Amino acid sequence: MLTMNEPADRLPGRAALARKVLPYALLSPAVLVTLAIVFFPMIQAAWMSLHDYILWKPKDFTFVGLKNFAAALQDEVFWISLRHTIIWIAVTIPAQLLLGLATALLLNQQFPWRPLARALIIIPWALPSVVIALMWVWIYDANYGILNEFMLRLGLIKASVPWLADPDTALYAIILTLTWQGFPFFAVMILAGLQSIPKSYYEAASLDGAGPMRQFWHITLPGISGVLVTAVLLRTIWVANSIDVIYVMTGGGPGYATYTLPLYAFIKARTNLDFGYGSSLAVLFTLMLLGLVIVYLRRAGRSVN
Amino acid sequence: MSKLISAALAVGLLAGTATAYADETVRFWYHFDNADNPMSELVAKFEKANPGIKIEAENIPWNSYYDNLYTSIVAGNAPDAAMVKMFAQPRLVEMGALEPIGDRIDAWDGKADLQDNLLDLTKASDGNSYYLPIQYVVLYLYYRQDMLEELGLEVPKTCDEFRDVAMKLTRDTDGDGQPDVYGFGFRGGKGGHDHWGSFVLSRNVDFSAGSLTSDAGVAGTQWVVDLFEKDKVFPPSAPNDGFKEVTGAFKAGKTAMTIHHIGSSNGMVEALGDAVSATPVPECGGGHWTSFGDESTAVFSSAENKDAAWKWISFLSTAGNNMEFNKATGQLPVTKTDSEGWTLHEKRFVDATVQSLPFANLLPNVPETSDFVNTVWPVNMQRALTGEITAEQMNTEIDKLYNP
Repeated sequence: MLTMNEPADRLPGRAALARKVLPYALLSPAVLVTLAIVFFPMIQAAWMSLHDYILWKPKDFTFVGLKNFAAALQDEVFWISLRHTIIWIAVTIPAQLLLGLATALLLNQQFPWRPLARALIIIPWALPSVVIALMWVWIYDANYGILNEFMLRLGLIKASVPWLADPDTALYAIILTLTWQGFPFFAVMILAGLQSIPKSYYEAASLDGAGPMRQFWHITLPGISGVLVTAVLLRTIWVANSIDVIYVMTGGGPGYATYTLPLYAFIKARTNLDFGYGSSLAVLFTLMLLGLVIVYLRRAGRSVN
Repeated sequence: MSKLISAALAVGLLAGTATAYADETVRFWYHFDNADNPMSELVAKFEKANPGIKIEAENIPWNSYYDNLYTSIVAGNAPDAAMVKMFAQPRLVEMGALEPIGDRIDAWDGKADLQDNLLDLTKASDGNSYYLPIQYVVLYLYYRQDMLEELGLEVPKTCDEFRDVAMKLTRDTDGDGQPDVYGFGFRGGKGGHDHWGSFVLSRNVDFSAGSLTSDAGVAGTQWVVDLFEKDKVFPPSAPNDGFKEVTGAFKAGKTAMTIHHIGSSNGMVEALGDAVSATPVPECGGGHWTSFGDESTAVFSSAENKDAAWKWISFLSTAGNNMEFNKATGQLPVTKTDSEGWTLHEKRFVDATVQSLPFANLLPNVPETSDFVNTVWPVNMQRALTGEITAEQMNTEIDKLYNP
């Protein structure tokens, strides 16, 4: 029996219990919120993907198993979107990485006004996507766009090119926009990595007669490899999922020319109100991206170690 | 992405439960392109006349108006009343979201003052009335009077004349070898089905099985594609162009003709003065078709104060108030009183509208029409214009949507 006279014996036990429980108690609000706003919708999406669920027929919620997935694999637009998604990731990420790397190396040099240049370079990254998209729509405009005007005056093209209305150029035009938006992220991350490399390494290397290329290859690159792996992973996930810029610039058009899988899922669910099919597209894409991330982490992790 | 959607739904639900409304509040959704918002004055006038009812009017951006409306209904957070178009009616009825208002309309003093036919046009396929008309427009052809005169051309009455005139109007004015003016500003993006309809549905073609895929139907779409690909009378950006681009190019003198309604006429006159005029769309393949642009209001079945909501929407369709409303939207009033002595648009545009009324049509009153308008038409038109699919394939896709 627990009485007022006994706490001296009991307290250690209770204190131990409290010590065990307290961290969970403190964590639980955050976990609950995460469960509610991240995991619950995820599971709901997976659940919806197994059903015929069209929003304007709310009474009709029939379990159909993997029908939506089978339909997706038969869907011409799914494969078109998948091809665009692969081009989208495979061109944007390396382009952002190289541009970011070059910028970071430049910004790591000593020159007057360097802090100002470092601050300015972040602007594309800091602007809202919608603003960037609208800005570039005007740059590409076939009638008034500055890009056409520029190229016409330089004699590079003979007639205005409707960059966003031509299915051959639309996707690449948006990729260029996204590259411009995302390279500062790489630049800033790589710059931070560069500054963590001790100066003495370079001094020792130059004493041993290593030129700038060898220094870059043997000191700089290994020094920033950890940062690169993380930055590439983050950007891949973000770029793969990003639809805002495409949505504002072309809405997926002309035709399916700028459809990526997440955009297709969004349009199916939000515009056609077919939440069952839209969710199955989203689930399929999540699985693919997950596979890509796992493969990437295994390989990149190994090479960094 | 679906995470985002679910989260949006969840937030909608939370918002629905968190905001407890007083008994006599009416939440009203509308969309105005015009930023000069007249709603506050109408709301003030209404609230003064009906003490105890509070109107919360919310301007929802047009591009996502119906996305928001449908999701809010499913999330249990629908407005009490809203502005609605006919193409959305079958879905809203299917969702059980609308309140029948036929009896209220019959008992309403303002009924006799409504323009003839409007209540018939807006009746649902189940025989009930859910919509109360609030404004209307009819699409017609805008043209540059000055450019036609300069080249000695007549206003086109048929598609053959239209093509001929459009080709002559497409020209290089500054001698750099590139056209600076295009004959026609075609809307290849969302909403452009009205343009296509005038050139295709006029040919005794409709959405019934096999009609669009008939020779006449395919010839119509092919004719549109040829205007772009062969005759090059549309600006190169046409496949992606929406309302903004089409009206912008016309006002800037980049195009000599386009199709839109009286809602843009004041802006056109502001930019071009007497140089702009209007006429009914050309007659194509022996028939005449133009789009009737409807707008009504409806009371939602989830509304707690249906009487108050009805009072508000009938207020908006009553003479005087309807005039104020249409002053803001730039469209035409539905009341006979306001239509007489209507001076807000130049006469030539009102005339073109009235002349177009006899062959003005609505799209089929079925749920598929939403998908036709939002995705099937734009995607396939864009693919046909850019040569990815043929005119026949485009019409087959539309036929498949309506006749699975």
